[in-house]
Amino acid sequence: MTREIERVAGIPVVQIATIVPIMLTVGTNRVVPGVAIPHPTGNPAMGPEGDKAVRRELLLRSFKAMTTPITEQTIFEK
Amino acid sequence: MRLELHKIHITGLDFADETYTSGGTLFINKNEAEALIAEDRRFAKVELDLACPGESKRIIPVKDVIEPRVKIEKKSYFPGFFAPMEKTGSGKTLVLDGAAVVTCGPIVAFQEGFIDMSGPGAQYTPFSQTRNIVLYVEPVENLEKHLYEAALREAGLKLAVYFAKCCADKEWKADEIQVFEKGDTFEETQKYPDLPKVIYVCMNITQGLLHDTYLYANDLRPALPTLLHPNEVLDGAMVSGNCVSACDKNTTWHHLHNPIVQSLYARHGKDINFLGMIPTQESTVLDGKLRAAAMNLSIAQQLGADGAIISEEGYGNPDTDLCLNAKFFENAGIKTVLVSDESAGTDGASQSLADATPELDAFISTGNVNEMIEVPAMDKVIGCKEAISLLSGGAEESLRSDGSMFVELQSVIASTAEIGFNKLGCEWI
Repeated sequence: MTREIERVAGIPVVQIATIVPIMLTVGTNRVVPGVAIPHPTGNPAMGPEGDKAVRRELLLRSFKAMTTPITEQTIFEK
Repeated sequence: MRLELHKIHITGLDFADETYTSGGTLFINKNEAEALIAEDRRFAKVELDLACPGESKRIIPVKDVIEPRVKIEKKSYFPGFFAPMEKTGSGKTLVLDGAAVVTCGPIVAFQEGFIDMSGPGAQYTPFSQTRNIVLYVEPVENLEKHLYEAALREAGLKLAVYFAKCCADKEWKADEIQVFEKGDTFEETQKYPDLPKVIYVCMNITQGLLHDTYLYANDLRPALPTLLHPNEVLDGAMVSGNCVSACDKNTTWHHLHNPIVQSLYARHGKDINFLGMIPTQESTVLDGKLRAAAMNLSIAQQLGADGAIISEEGYGNPDTDLCLNAKFFENAGIKTVLVSDESAGTDGASQSLADATPELDAFISTGNVNEMIEVPAMDKVIGCKEAISLLSGGAEESLRSDGSMFVELQSVIASTAEIGFNKLGCEWI
């Protein structure tokens, strides 16, 4: 889906996903590593405030990934 | 370390006033066994039923299958569950060979499965060939799912140990004694200096949310990879607690019989030097996957392994663990062969693993989990036939009004078991 949206609509896509090697295998261009498979976009173990901070950081990093020009598959680490 | 499995071949089941074996039949005191399980107040209903090969019976939804066993002298089994915490793998074990306790009850989670005792569905599961004592339970109202899973897991083990203990207390004679004997890796390597050293890496679902495996009654999820003597594996160290897809969950019965361990054992001292088994994790976190693969390699290297057999449990994200293991081992010069099933779509045309790596170049397939099969109605359903609509591999429309079902293979217990206990494979065309 990520590749098709980019190919057909020309919209840059950032994929937040936990198991990065799979994203690289399937050809995702912009990857933001997620937290864990049961909760990729947050960390409930850190309590409500910690969880919100994790979510916010992931989202801001994703925006940065979206606006960063790339020439190859790129992982945007923290 | 020497392990003797004293096997009584069970060829029939019947209810009686006492629990004992005679002439190959396991007689069971139904009331006493049910009362034993009903002691657990987490159950509102407990009922035993029997299902033997060839009968027109369907068991659904099945959680685990356990072989009745007990240590002959200590009268206990499964350390940490129904035996004191101590090392397994030596001494004498009584095995009710051919009998199995099957745990069943309203669905815990969506990844349980079914067993048909006859018809086309029967050929896909080893448990159509065992004499099954089915433990059906219903939990008390509002029992949380993880407590229900724990209760049912423990009940299955308890019942299996109880049957074997009752038989051990009465008169019995083994039909067969199977011996597993092997020294430590240092001794064996001195004995067979020229044989290639092979290690077995047994990947286990360790993902929480009812997807767990227990080693010496310890949850493997927060643990680290370790090394077991093969005798420990074959004598009750490993217990399944997982609700991963029915087709490729390693039930407790599978661990007790682990065919890869047994095959490597059979060749030990002949053409290979079998080093032992690494029970390892499949984490939900990438660092966890990397850590497990790195530590599996570290253990293998410390033992000087030349080759490794690596089996997966489940599919999807664990395919990455499989690839990482292949990559790390191969790059370190240790030859690997991987065993896994495939999730290749109902037509078999999709990419069959979620991940891929060039190092994964020796692969044994145990079948396509998405293959569609049709199974006829059975005269009797033990459990809840409607559960198929919630199981992986089933859907709302799977159960037809005449009682037949059209389902994915993955809803059949152990149909594509990745430690090799099934009859399916794939051919390269």
